[in-house]
Amino acid sequence: MAEMWITMGPQHPMTHGLWTLRVKVDGETVTDTEAELGYIHRGVEKICESRDFTQITPYCDRLCYVSAMTWAHSYIMAAENLLEAEVPERAEYIRLMAAEVQRLASHLMWLGAFGPDIGNLTLMTWCLRDREMFLDLLQELGGSRMHYNYPRVGGVKRDIPIGWANRLKAKVKLFENRIKEYEMLLDESTIWLVRLQGVGYATAEDQIDAGVTGPNIRAAGVNVDARWTNPYSVYDQVDWEPAVEKPTSVKGADCYDRYRVRMEEMRQSCRMLLDAIEKIPGGANTHYQPGDEMLITKAPTRAPEGATGFSTYECTRGVSNFYLQGGGDGRGKNPYRVSIRSPMFITIPYVAKTMIGYKVADIPAIMGSFDPCIGETDR
Amino acid sequence: MGTTISLEQNAAAAKAAAENLTERFSDAGMTVEVIAHSAGKKFEFVRITCSPSQWRAVAKHLKHELGVNHCAMVTGTHYPEGSAERGWEVAYHMHRWPIQDVAAHTMTVHKGESLQGDDIPMEFEIFIPLEAGDSPSVPSVQDLWVGADWNEKETWDLVGIDFEGHENMHRVLNPHDSPTGFHPLQRQHKIRYHDFNEMYDDPQGFDRKPIDEGRVK
Repeated sequence: MAEMWITMGPQHPMTHGLWTLRVKVDGETVTDTEAELGYIHRGVEKICESRDFTQITPYCDRLCYVSAMTWAHSYIMAAENLLEAEVPERAEYIRLMAAEVQRLASHLMWLGAFGPDIGNLTLMTWCLRDREMFLDLLQELGGSRMHYNYPRVGGVKRDIPIGWANRLKAKVKLFENRIKEYEMLLDESTIWLVRLQGVGYATAEDQIDAGVTGPNIRAAGVNVDARWTNPYSVYDQVDWEPAVEKPTSVKGADCYDRYRVRMEEMRQSCRMLLDAIEKIPGGANTHYQPGDEMLITKAPTRAPEGATGFSTYECTRGVSNFYLQGGGDGRGKNPYRVSIRSPMFITIPYVAKTMIGYKVADIPAIMGSFDPCIGETDR
Repeated sequence: MGTTISLEQNAAAAKAAAENLTERFSDAGMTVEVIAHSAGKKFEFVRITCSPSQWRAVAKHLKHELGVNHCAMVTGTHYPEGSAERGWEVAYHMHRWPIQDVAAHTMTVHKGESLQGDDIPMEFEIFIPLEAGDSPSVPSVQDLWVGADWNEKETWDLVGIDFEGHENMHRVLNPHDSPTGFHPLQRQHKIRYHDFNEMYDDPQGFDRKPIDEGRVK
């Protein structure tokens, strides 16, 4: 049969955003692929060159609407390296909790979007129901449902409200039981298993060489996680283990492994949250005024020419990096250069190539299992 | 309690990597420093400054001798007011992580505290200053790390630094029909602003013109 190119996207349910996957097919078999990105390139790196360090945070929120808090945190860490700012321990705990709540919300969004790809629409409604609990928690911190603008250079914008800790505990404990419900729904569903198992193999070494990180690589059986390999915040003080899955084949992780590892990661985030809320310095039901030294320290606002700041951060989809250079406009008030490494920008071309040899019907399962997000990909 | 890497392990690994690099490239006029991050846990990383002609040798050494397996990001920077030797700069950020394939139904669970030698995670930062001029160029490492492929494409697309030996170079974030030589992160391109009157008169922006209209991009 003659081979032909099919264009999937930019508007296609498989893409989870705006991008194009060009697929060369021989009958039902994929023989070649090509990813085309850049449909929502907003030039964030260029815009940041004309903003000061505080003004950049909201732009970083908008890199990925599904996990705004982790992106802002990632940027703030690089800015703190550049400006040499210290962070109070209470602020580090609050940031950790905010990031883990965001991780739960992000993984729920992923699961909710992945379900309909596989033919399980119920999952979408269940996941969005639970995600709303966590968005409410984040809204109490940042004031907004999606884009929080919450971390600051040297600390956080404001303290956790009174009663936040109790609501967090109640919601996390409820959600731990909900995870069991999800597993009952999915792991006993023949459709779910048949469409995910044995599809989309990727080995750990191949993935790291291609630059794929995060849950996708932990699904292939290696517990490398930037939260312990490049430690930051207070992850060394709270109770957790990196989520890691035993792959069922020498060919590496399949889509089912990648689903399992994210479920385990949600469980670990719950564990971390319940532990952190007990250990937070200053007490969980205390409210400090904004600007208190428990929450934020004075940080310089200007960075000299030649200074650099680099951060390595375990985002929800993999490792994100920020690289900042000081000495921009306004006598160093702005950065000279902001460079952003998005995990998905590297992952999507790699995933496109792993589809070769599978069937056209497997494409949504493979693509969805890697958790694509186009906002951060195109920047 | 989760596993983690201690400051002592990190310092030992950074020192060992820096010594290894200094020994190998001692007579090449290359700088190798161990630098600590200035915030957070103040972990150390290795910073290498080398010339474009040394870069391929350094990259091969990093990959094959020091076990650097992850090319995290490539950053190009334009310094129009810089010196003649440093009109542009390419910064590669690399990571070393203890990642090996596992057999089926097994997993490798690293205990951070017991990692030793080249298994300790480490960050590498490589600065490659390029001469001022219209055609900055640096050798590509696309064949060493698959992860460098799209990073280099992006750097060429946005900053206009040419990667010698990079196969299948094409636009990734800018439109495919962008004019030749248009690379928006070069400093001569400014962000366009418009005032509120313009917003009322022309809310859709159809009449807005680029400030550099008429000039060759």
